[in-house]
Amino acid sequence: MENINVSKGFKVALTGMPDLSVIQIPDPETIAVSALDIPYIRPKLLVKKNDPVKTGTPLFCDKRNKCIQYVSPGTGIVKQIVFGQRRRLIEVVIALNKNRDEKDNFIQFETLSSDDVNTVPRSNITKRLQEGGLWQCFREFPSKDTADENHEPPMIIVSLNGNDPFSPYPQVVLENETAFFEFGIKILKQFSNRIVITSRQDNLSSLNRLNGLKEHITHIVPDFYPAWDPGVVLYKLKRTRKENRSWCISAEHLVLMAKFLLTGRYPVKRVVTVTRSTDKKPHIITRQGAPVKNLVGSLDDNSLITTGRFNGRSVDPKSHMGFFESTLTIINNNQEEEFFGFIQPGLTKPTASKTFLSCLTQTPKNLDCNTHGEERACINCGYCVNICPVDLMPSFIIKALLSDDIEDALNYGLLDCCRCGLCSYACPSKIELTKLLSHGIDAHYKDRE
Amino acid sequence: MNPLKKLVNSSEKYFTGSGKFNRLKPLFDATKTFFFFPSPKTKHTPFVRDSLDLKRFMSFVLISLLPVLIFGIYNTGFQAGLARGESYTFFQAFWLGSRYVLPIIIVSYTVGFLWEILFAVIRKHKISEGFLVTGLLFPLTLPATIPLWQVAVGISFGVVIGKEVFGGTGRNFLNPALTGRAFLFFSYPVSMSGDVWVAAKSAVDGVSGATALSVLAPEGEKITSALSDSGFSLSNLFLGFVPGSIGETSALCCILGALFLIITKIANFRIIIGGIAGLIVTSLIFYLIPGGSDSWMNAGPLFHLCAGGFLFGISFMATDPVSAPGTNPGRWIFGFLIGFLTITIRVANPAFVEGTMLAILFMNVFAPMLDHIVVKYTASKRIPNV
Repeated sequence: MENINVSKGFKVALTGMPDLSVIQIPDPETIAVSALDIPYIRPKLLVKKNDPVKTGTPLFCDKRNKCIQYVSPGTGIVKQIVFGQRRRLIEVVIALNKNRDEKDNFIQFETLSSDDVNTVPRSNITKRLQEGGLWQCFREFPSKDTADENHEPPMIIVSLNGNDPFSPYPQVVLENETAFFEFGIKILKQFSNRIVITSRQDNLSSLNRLNGLKEHITHIVPDFYPAWDPGVVLYKLKRTRKENRSWCISAEHLVLMAKFLLTGRYPVKRVVTVTRSTDKKPHIITRQGAPVKNLVGSLDDNSLITTGRFNGRSVDPKSHMGFFESTLTIINNNQEEEFFGFIQPGLTKPTASKTFLSCLTQTPKNLDCNTHGEERACINCGYCVNICPVDLMPSFIIKALLSDDIEDALNYGLLDCCRCGLCSYACPSKIELTKLLSHGIDAHYKDRE
Repeated sequence: MNPLKKLVNSSEKYFTGSGKFNRLKPLFDATKTFFFFPSPKTKHTPFVRDSLDLKRFMSFVLISLLPVLIFGIYNTGFQAGLARGESYTFFQAFWLGSRYVLPIIIVSYTVGFLWEILFAVIRKHKISEGFLVTGLLFPLTLPATIPLWQVAVGISFGVVIGKEVFGGTGRNFLNPALTGRAFLFFSYPVSMSGDVWVAAKSAVDGVSGATALSVLAPEGEKITSALSDSGFSLSNLFLGFVPGSIGETSALCCILGALFLIITKIANFRIIIGGIAGLIVTSLIFYLIPGGSDSWMNAGPLFHLCAGGFLFGISFMATDPVSAPGTNPGRWIFGFLIGFLTITIRVANPAFVEGTMLAILFMNVFAPMLDHIVVKYTASKRIPNV
């Protein structure tokens, strides 16, 4: 095991860490496949309202590559197809069968035994995964798009940790899944010669109970956000230009993939965490695409529900979890306008700077969803540069982007950005740096298409 | 509810929408957000934001200026007392000093804010906090004897030409306070140089009121002993009991302020350390050059460090992030060259006894170029990702 040396990131301890116990909640009435967390997708619907679907029936595919399908994670009928502005597909909602006996009617796909993995051609595995709705687990750098099946990645990065500091812990998600995980690694070896498996430093000891899964870990990353992000890992490991087009996959998805190939059935079980600064909630076992409402319970205040406080999206309580999302963070909204707030000593205020007394204490802090100030022009203070885990200079890149100088922005390393959100977090002028960088990456992606 | 909050809420309707004074909305906003810290909900990812904002950032510079300001007021009174041949108590000196200094600060803030409000109203943007710092830095660079109308003219030039014509705080490339001072320095040299540094000196004849930097040793005497003879011993210069601009005299207070800025990471230590290093190296080089023992050439690093406005400038002016480089190597070079140029101007240019102001303004102009070189260089070291 090698250590990856990441020095910059978000090092403030936070309140609301989830409990390591696990509860199972009853199956919801509706589930959905969300299109909002799928990168750059141009969906083409394959079902209509009121169509009956089985677990594994394709609901929509990606127009860019019609082989990549998104399948139903449950059996029932299509209850609603939700569109947003400009008829953008938001999600396909399925009302689950209430009849207990035929609750899950799986489409049976071809199975692949552990011994056959090395003999079956790569294209065959690709085809099975695409039909089964799991190919999209592979994401390709630099824009983290769905992986290109014809590309041979120089490196595949497997991350044991999710996007948020409080994403489900690997020792919970991977409990009793070691065999599947090992099978998954065999599959990955069909795609690339270099498999990198990373774990957070602090999780390492608790991985001992996972029947030898720990031996597969190749790299250890420090325990502060976003050191475990595959984008950061890639930045720290890459030595040549070719490696920019590496792939990444989360360990959880790798296990889903392995389960699917071994059993021929679309796996529907997922582990999620719901965190709130004032609570310590257990991990929840639920179905993929469960309604947000069922997971968070009733919220009567003005809080914000997100799928990751730094890099998630804000979700509507009426919508459903996406395929790539495994955590819901409820962030309190502190609407009070503090009297002389800008000059308070701030013993409990979370900050990456050294201007509050709180930077002297180690007690976990509580983050709220407020900007703490108004937007101003960039004063070149360098707080974004000092926190960027991939050594970018966001202040200079956005100035290049704002003057439409995409060439300069790319030279400054725009595509290395892993969209961790820390530049916007730290900016004292409250500039939406992450949004601007993200738009820059997306604009470059569209240009290339 | 806070009675002030009630007042703000009840008067809000006059300043927003189609209210009577809706054009003065920036003024209302600035007042309201000064008392009640605005903290709207985040709209984009990331949904959490740091507690530090520009108001706090700029307030911390003001806090760091407090020692300099308090000592400056005291010293103004103290020097006036010396000139009148009387010895005041601390409070007497402070009282006398504040009668000279406070009007200057009030004029600077009032006139500067009027310009800020005018530009904010015309451009329909919010009043930026940057002026809080400029408005106090500018008076601290002036002699206490300056006529108030010149203060008004100087701060107007600094705010309008130094900053607002380029788009306001964040878009200026020169330090606005120094721009204003440079304007006064070249437009009204009579009030900005020579024997203007001691308030009320006319009461007694024979008090020179010049600064340490204009001292020249008589033939055959060393500059350091000539300085001591005129009352500019190293300890006096370090503590600041000498004539000079209101804020610049005490090296000790500048160092206190600089330490506060460095510890809270509001100012970048690279600029300050680089500047001091540049000053020490350059003054040592001049020291080692034979000859010139009667001039500041031979004064050595300690006298150069403590005399004049160098420590004030490098701690509070050069560290203004907007007009300094945004890259770390750039900051080192920027600081070092300020130290180098300050000494070079002091020693080699007889027209200007003090070089800090010109050195900082000169390097402000070069800051974007330093950044450009550093950014291009670091970009070339990255593994290309296009």
